[in-house]
Amino acid sequence: MNAREKGRSAVDTPAPKGRNRVRLVVRGACLVGAVVLLWSVVPLAWAPALVGALSPFVATASLLATRAWAATAWAGLAVGVVVLVRHRFFCRWMCPMGLCLDGASRLGRRLGRRSLPGPRVGPWIVLLTLGGACLGYPLLLWLDPLALLTGVFALGADGPVPFVSLGVILFLCLALSSLLWPNLWCARICPLGAFQDLLSFWRRFLGSVRRRRGNAADAWQNGQTLSRRSALGIATGAVVARIAGLARAKAPRPLRPPGALDESKFVGVCTRCGNCLRSCPSGIIRRDTGQGGAISLWTPVLSFQDDYCREDCTQCTQVCPSGALTRLLPEDKPRMRLGLPRVDMNICLLADDRECSACARWCPYDAIRYVFSEAEYTLVPQIDPNKCTGCGACEAACPTTPKKAIVVAPV
Amino acid sequence: MSERMNRRDCLRMLGLSSLTAGLGTVRSRPCHAQSAGESSGFQSSIIASGTTQARGGNATLIDGKVIQPRRELPVLDETDVLVVGGGPAGVVAAIAAKRAGANVTLVERYGHFGGLWTGGLVLLVIGHIVKGGKQVCQGIGEEIMRRLDKLEGGIINRRPGVNPTADAEAVKYVMVEMIEEAGVKVFLHCWGVDAIVTGNTVRGVVFESKSGRQAVLARTVVDATGDGDIFAAAGAEFEHRSHNVGLVSRIGKLDRVDRDTAAGAPKPKRLGSPTPVSGVNWVNMRGPEVDGLDVATLTRMEMNHRKFIWNHMQKTRQAPGYENVYLVETAPQLGVRITRVLHGLKTITLADLKAGTRFSDVVGVGGSDNGKHGPWQIPYGSLVPAEVDNVLAAGRCLSAEIRMADLVRLIPNCFVTGHAAGVAAAVAVQDRCRPRDVDVAKVQKILRQQEAYLG
Repeated sequence: MNAREKGRSAVDTPAPKGRNRVRLVVRGACLVGAVVLLWSVVPLAWAPALVGALSPFVATASLLATRAWAATAWAGLAVGVVVLVRHRFFCRWMCPMGLCLDGASRLGRRLGRRSLPGPRVGPWIVLLTLGGACLGYPLLLWLDPLALLTGVFALGADGPVPFVSLGVILFLCLALSSLLWPNLWCARICPLGAFQDLLSFWRRFLGSVRRRRGNAADAWQNGQTLSRRSALGIATGAVVARIAGLARAKAPRPLRPPGALDESKFVGVCTRCGNCLRSCPSGIIRRDTGQGGAISLWTPVLSFQDDYCREDCTQCTQVCPSGALTRLLPEDKPRMRLGLPRVDMNICLLADDRECSACARWCPYDAIRYVFSEAEYTLVPQIDPNKCTGCGACEAACPTTPKKAIVVAPV
Repeated sequence: MSERMNRRDCLRMLGLSSLTAGLGTVRSRPCHAQSAGESSGFQSSIIASGTTQARGGNATLIDGKVIQPRRELPVLDETDVLVVGGGPAGVVAAIAAKRAGANVTLVERYGHFGGLWTGGLVLLVIGHIVKGGKQVCQGIGEEIMRRLDKLEGGIINRRPGVNPTADAEAVKYVMVEMIEEAGVKVFLHCWGVDAIVTGNTVRGVVFESKSGRQAVLARTVVDATGDGDIFAAAGAEFEHRSHNVGLVSRIGKLDRVDRDTAAGAPKPKRLGSPTPVSGVNWVNMRGPEVDGLDVATLTRMEMNHRKFIWNHMQKTRQAPGYENVYLVETAPQLGVRITRVLHGLKTITLADLKAGTRFSDVVGVGGSDNGKHGPWQIPYGSLVPAEVDNVLAAGRCLSAEIRMADLVRLIPNCFVTGHAAGVAAAVAVQDRCRPRDVDVAKVQKILRQQEAYLG
């Protein structure tokens, strides 16, 4: 297949030496740019989102799944238009992950390592994911290389061991795989690369059929094969997404950051890049290490153990590259509903008539009142669901240990 | 009374007529057994006989209205600093002002010091520590705690980062000791009922007691009444708030609970927490949110709470193993938390606590009720009424947002604000200025000399 043959790593493609040098400089600049953006050196709230948002694969899947135009979608779709015209333009000229892995591959080749023969799984990842996206759940979106690269920078915000630096571990695994089997990721697995291949194949195929250039019969044959495979992949993806959706309906729903999509879509559209974790000034966004079931693994969940979701903060929604967290304005915050607190009167200090007014004092929305119960002759916290946003200030302030008497539960 | 005469004229006339009638009305008649002032040799002696109280200025009925006429009041005392209220804030304020060199008179409505700490049996001391365990309440308040430490059965759980529980009688004793050592002049059983005001300036306070209505003149007054009775009477602006009104009690013989029998059944509720007296717990009560200035409400609270406590104790005694537990006492004083809150030059806010605001006029640092948040600075302006002069607020009634009230009213924070008010009042007297014009740097210097913590 024409596209497949061309769909090798950028390094494999023969090119004049001078051009290679220019390309190396440009790619180097892109890598430096990506690091600068991800390191939050630029004083722009949405800067870290830009790297992940450049992926046309993520933008397309997110668009299909949410049927809404995410604030960052323009970046990915712009790149998409370019790669439609210039095959694997992103890999050749921009991909910061690709440059790192190319370096590892070169080193591997020098050490005498050979590429691993075998089928390419990248296109299947893309097809399954897009198929799932049609039903709201893009299955393997988190395999996007830009999301994986972004994950490296979530180091430190990831919380307790053993997941402490999964982003780094994944990155090192990819580098190691390229060292052992040069170009394994870029040529065979990377869904972003495969997505570009598919885009440019369909353009070439349609072009050649229209212009009747070359061997039309061959092209037709190829087209049929690919259509069949695409249909199969997309259908499988849709079926898996449906099954996963049904399985998830019963799973516990964790607390999500503000602006999160509907839970069924969120777990898929979220690329697990960790930008939201890093951006949160309260440090309340944590990795899901199993609370929300297997499908939700490694997605952001909220923990109000020590702090709460600030009244005027929309940081996490600014840095989300995939639109899993829809961008919010500070004035939207009082209308957000993250959850609703529940009080366990078995441990609440008020049940024991203790002098505690922590939850009511720290509630930014004045949603908690202590009502005297004639029957119990004690005070009982009462939450006004119209005022409460589930921001968790009450839970963070609650002094009972080890369990908090007031806990925000998903609604 | 004629309708052409306005109320003031009417009162003036009444006052003048009753003054002349009231002068020298204490007449004594000779007595058979012995003369007045002589010892009878029996349990009781005659102080004066055949007396009638001076009727100068009785309230009277005019047109169906009860009218209180003008009258001259005897002056009980003249002093530099008058502290009204002998609770944690008032006692510390009086000692601080005296140690700062002023003549001090302390007046208290009950027969003991300590206010709600002792009379209200709120024995647990919370509010002196902040997140991380640092103790921010120092100075004279901490001195009280250290003295309690030295007494047998004075206080338990006096460890860093822990909330101790004091014994009410030990507190009363320590406070008497310290007040006497400092040389503060004291009048107990005097209820401050009115402020003596000229223009916008408070000149003293009127007290009601068994000795009748008397005045104490002062150059500066510290209102440590908790309810802001004095600044309110002087016309200062305040916020009238409702809060929970409860009644604390103590229960005893908890050391006689049969653990084996009790283990099988659910633990009774409201067993409180330990006090320095072994086997005796103090039991808190939050109570309903009501107006603590309304006497009908206060009466209802007293009666309802007392009934509830008694009946609840009968239930507790029915629990297996708890048969011997009994009600030691209900607190003599109803647990009123917040009533009037001053409108001061500055207001203590939750936003300042969150932001950790540092004030140039800081006179104290408040703590947390559960050690879960940081310290909050108390600006001098929160003690000073916005309009009225020569009176300073101390204790729970100082200028604070509603969300901060539950922190301001805690015992250690009352120590801190009392300490600040006492020193500031003394400085105002020495420098012959209004409290609002006091040199705060000087106040801070003296506070630090008296080992207060200002952040």
